[in-house]
Amino acid sequence: MKSNKLRTIIPLLVMLVVAIGYVTAFGIGTISGFGWMDISLLCPLGSLLTLVASKMAVPRVLISLVVVVILILLFARAFCGWICPVPVVSKIRGIFGGKASNTDMEGQGALDPEAAMAATAAEKKKAAGDALTEEEKKALKGCSGSCTSCASKFQKLDSRHVILGGSLVSAAIFGFPVFCLICPIGLTLATILLVMRLFAFGDVTWSVVVVPVILILELLVFRKWCSKICPISALMSLIGKGNKTFVPTIDNSKCLETAKGRSCEICSQVCPQAINPRHPEAGMSFSECTKCRACVENCPTSAITMPFLPQKPTPMPSADDAAPEATA
Amino acid sequence: MTEQEEKNAPVEEGSSGVISRRSLLVGLGGTAVLCGLGAVRYVAADPLVRPPGGQNEDQLVSACIHCEKCYEVCPRNVIAPAHIEDGIVNMRTPVMTFSSNWCDWCKEENGGDPLCVKVCPTQALQLPQGATPENTILGLANLDTDLCLAYRLIGCRFCYDACEYEAIELDENNRPYVINDKCNGCGACESVCVSMQNGSITAGANRRAIIVEPIQ
Repeated sequence: MKSNKLRTIIPLLVMLVVAIGYVTAFGIGTISGFGWMDISLLCPLGSLLTLVASKMAVPRVLISLVVVVILILLFARAFCGWICPVPVVSKIRGIFGGKASNTDMEGQGALDPEAAMAATAAEKKKAAGDALTEEEKKALKGCSGSCTSCASKFQKLDSRHVILGGSLVSAAIFGFPVFCLICPIGLTLATILLVMRLFAFGDVTWSVVVVPVILILELLVFRKWCSKICPISALMSLIGKGNKTFVPTIDNSKCLETAKGRSCEICSQVCPQAINPRHPEAGMSFSECTKCRACVENCPTSAITMPFLPQKPTPMPSADDAAPEATA
Repeated sequence: MTEQEEKNAPVEEGSSGVISRRSLLVGLGGTAVLCGLGAVRYVAADPLVRPPGGQNEDQLVSACIHCEKCYEVCPRNVIAPAHIEDGIVNMRTPVMTFSSNWCDWCKEENGGDPLCVKVCPTQALQLPQGATPENTILGLANLDTDLCLAYRLIGCRFCYDACEYEAIELDENNRPYVINDKCNGCGACESVCVSMQNGSITAGANRRAIIVEPIQ
């Protein structure tokens, strides 16, 4: 998969750029404050936490927040899928004997086990080439919008959002950004810095052991860190509710389900965030989209695109067109 | 009720559609951990020698997001991340290390406007109005006469020559001593001290004879 590889390479490149920046004293900073000398794009959570903790309205922090909000409105959680080093670091789970695929940034990580099972069942059915029964087709047609039986599984808020609130509250109570101490993004970049300092300046400290150990423990114990714990992901998904650009859009004249009346569901199975592009109400909200392009690249009929601006839905082919194909 | 059944059970009235009980518990657990971790703020931590603008300890700790910019831009590499040994709340906040250089507020590199303060995005490092190198006290030089070569009448006076603030004077035997009122903790003396170099080490010494210590 092209995007899949890129999504590993880009975070590694970002880490390399940060390391080079440190050596050359360019003033690039890290992901917590990326930029050039005194111009920095700050981590949105870090910005909020320092505002709450220090009770100072620092102009640079406010400007950076506005810019970051605009970026999230444009790209939803693309940061998570393309830049964040945590999914890449999570690959060390493979070393510890865990299934490497069982992360929440690839495969069906964010799905509950039962939902994953249902997905596999659907896949088997698809492999058998089963056409939808009349009943199923009817159900699909009727399933437009607010279907409580599906929606109940995917609540508006989850544990990440509570932790987001918790990190703001703890910063307000204790007067310092508590979450920054254990943020795996910060710990990843700190590990790079500390190892470099260890060799370059002989800066020997227990931090160089403690920091990576905390990082690894977090990612090993909380296998679904990104979709269950990470307050940055929570913040981005909240702001991302306003995201209307680059949303996966299905061309109904190509989609197997609408054009040929066959069950497919591949797009929902490959989505790491458990979004169901075909039946949005049956999955997570599009605000969770990391723009990873898995659905676009895996669609057997290339029916999915991610257009810059929202498009009008293509008309559904009539049932008569679909019927002969389905029986053929 | 098994876990499986619980998941399949319809969401109860009241919590439906907003958050599941399980998510709420996980989230509250995470919040509890963060609040527990926040308590490290009250664990006594030793004061540290901070970069210019970091003298208001409360402001520094509450605003620093560990972005690493100050260490990176320091043209003399005298800013380093604090060790975990300096206290958990201080870990990865900026401290001064004068082992190979000292702080002149970027006089050559940026005309006396410290780059670390300039790049700090959150004002964790912020100089008060009218701050100068003379009135901003980073720390205080402490000379250990047991380790100092001059106190063995070797005639070493590197620290005296390095000090730009006339904070070190020589006694009648040409032995340096620190004038506390004039010292601003710039680290020049510490950076040139040779007491830990080959041929100069006093048995048992694990630090230089003159080091900048935080103000208690």
